[in-house]
Amino acid sequence: MPRKVHTDVTTTFTQKQTTPNNPNLAPPFRRTAGSRPERLSSGMFALLLVVPGMALMAVVVAYPLISALVTAFFRQSLVLPGREFVGIQNIVDVLEGDFLRLLMQTLVFTLGTTIAPFVIGFALALALNTQIRGSKIMRGLMLIPWLVPGVVVSFLWMWIFNANYGVMNAILEPLGVSPQAWLAQPGTAMFAVIVAKTWQSFPWMMVMLLAGLQTVPRELHEAAEMDGAGTVRRFFSITVPQIGGIIGLVLLLEFIWNFQHFDIIYVLTGGGPAGSTETFATAVYETAFHGFDLGHAGALGLLWMVLLMALVVVYVRFSERGEKR
Amino acid sequence: MTSTALPTVTPTPDAPPVVPPAPRRRRRQLASGLRSDRPGVRLAAWAAVIVCGGFALLPVYWLLATSLTPRDQVFSYPPKIFPTEVTFDAYAGLVSNPQLFTYLQNSIIVSVITAVLSVIVSAYMGYSFSKFRYRGRRQLMYFVLASQMFPQALLLVTLYSVFSAYGLLNTYTALVLSFTTFTLPLCVWMLKGFFDTIPDELIEAARVDGASRLRTIHSIVLPLAAPGLVAAGLFAFVRGWNDFIFALTLAGPDKQTLPPGLVNTYVGEAATAWPELMAASLVVSLPVAIAFMLLQRYLVSGMTAGAVKG
Repeated sequence: MPRKVHTDVTTTFTQKQTTPNNPNLAPPFRRTAGSRPERLSSGMFALLLVVPGMALMAVVVAYPLISALVTAFFRQSLVLPGREFVGIQNIVDVLEGDFLRLLMQTLVFTLGTTIAPFVIGFALALALNTQIRGSKIMRGLMLIPWLVPGVVVSFLWMWIFNANYGVMNAILEPLGVSPQAWLAQPGTAMFAVIVAKTWQSFPWMMVMLLAGLQTVPRELHEAAEMDGAGTVRRFFSITVPQIGGIIGLVLLLEFIWNFQHFDIIYVLTGGGPAGSTETFATAVYETAFHGFDLGHAGALGLLWMVLLMALVVVYVRFSERGEKR
Repeated sequence: MTSTALPTVTPTPDAPPVVPPAPRRRRRQLASGLRSDRPGVRLAAWAAVIVCGGFALLPVYWLLATSLTPRDQVFSYPPKIFPTEVTFDAYAGLVSNPQLFTYLQNSIIVSVITAVLSVIVSAYMGYSFSKFRYRGRRQLMYFVLASQMFPQALLLVTLYSVFSAYGLLNTYTALVLSFTTFTLPLCVWMLKGFFDTIPDELIEAARVDGASRLRTIHSIVLPLAAPGLVAAGLFAFVRGWNDFIFALTLAGPDKQTLPPGLVNTYVGEAATAWPELMAASLVVSLPVAIAFMLLQRYLVSGMTAGAVKG
């Protein structure tokens, strides 16, 4: 069907091109010349198409972002009207208070949930790329954790890590690990949260890296093998450099996402116990919606945004490089 | 596709092919990587698949098994890996809870409207980015792309007040507007990729034939990009279906969708009804799984545009 449209229209087009002086064919577009978009220059029309989306962006992203950052300089409550300018007092409070602890915890969470899924996803991608029997089916099955909504991931791991009846304790006990209240102890809670997020993230890494691996020309491997390069050597000298772009992109994106991840932490531990799994995302949310303290939430958010923006700039550079090609 | 080629729409290499399926030998040539005919490599590959496969799939089994276990058997330690008795009581329990139906209804309404609205808004936007060249285009494009990188917890700090000021808290409108906005980066970039593949000559020809600019979009461009519109709509549906933080914050119990609804219903009780929660989890996940199966071939392109979070 599409092909038919294509040929029909282009035929008409070429006919017109070849008979420019035929008065019957000349100005059919005059018919619609009065309709509104026609009167606008094409630049205006292009901008009009963008207006609905940009309006949404302005209301839901740009304005809230800017005004959230502005509240950093005010004493302001979620529930009481009015606000009072306090300069950089909120930022000073945050820096002297929780900032370093939150930064460290956010980094631990982010690095853990970037590196672990990368290792698992890369191992799987390499394994499935050898075309072992059943690799297609395995690939499909491995996607399941990623198809599950974030809250379900939390429910499931909350049950697995349950202190009294959890299957994790039952599995580890025969291996000599005494039963733990995984989600109720500062040390193990962060581990549990990272495991749950890793479970959700690694299929995405796998799919991306597998797609990358399949772009590596087989001839390269064959040539290197002729020259006597072993499996390990070929992995580091051919595979890794060839898909370096994809590796960089998935690590960067995963890092940016996890740097602001909210759902799994919030449902699984709520930032607890004793604030040990709190990250910037949950802390800003808690400060604003349970502490009703918009000023300090804004101040914390401002510092968070500065760190995040650096990452976003790197990402956009990265995308632009891909776009230009 | 070069290794850094990213926000373009490229179906996954082994997606349902548009060309007739290549014979097996050829596929093996195209695919690359470690050769599978060495026993050591094969063994390593299998080991990786089994270990990682266990990590991926055992929790899924546990979800299913728990949802079928009688409630009194769940509270025993060590847990029974293979339930001795299978019951559908948990599923029956879900059906008999009217509050869950309210959440389900809200989820469906909000996700469907989000899908439709996203497709409309992002089709025009993607077309503009794809077929016109104007000053500020690149800046707008990268603003759209970068917008998903702004933390939602921070946006909510004032978005809550904005919606509150206009009386939109606890309405479908608030949820649909937020969800739609956050689908734009993905949908716009994906549809732009589709429109890029439509030859400019076709659009010029339609114009010469007398179609207005809008008519050209509606009768020529959109029908050709129909698969892309469907994919974008499904992605938007899933985005609305899965969202937690916006629905939690901007809506109360009567307008909340399933994810925060389930948290409010089950989490935090003294003794959580685990079989029911696992059954509910399974039910909530099904539409997403189905949508993604339909979407398989667009997965990688969508992910590289960066919006299906991992």
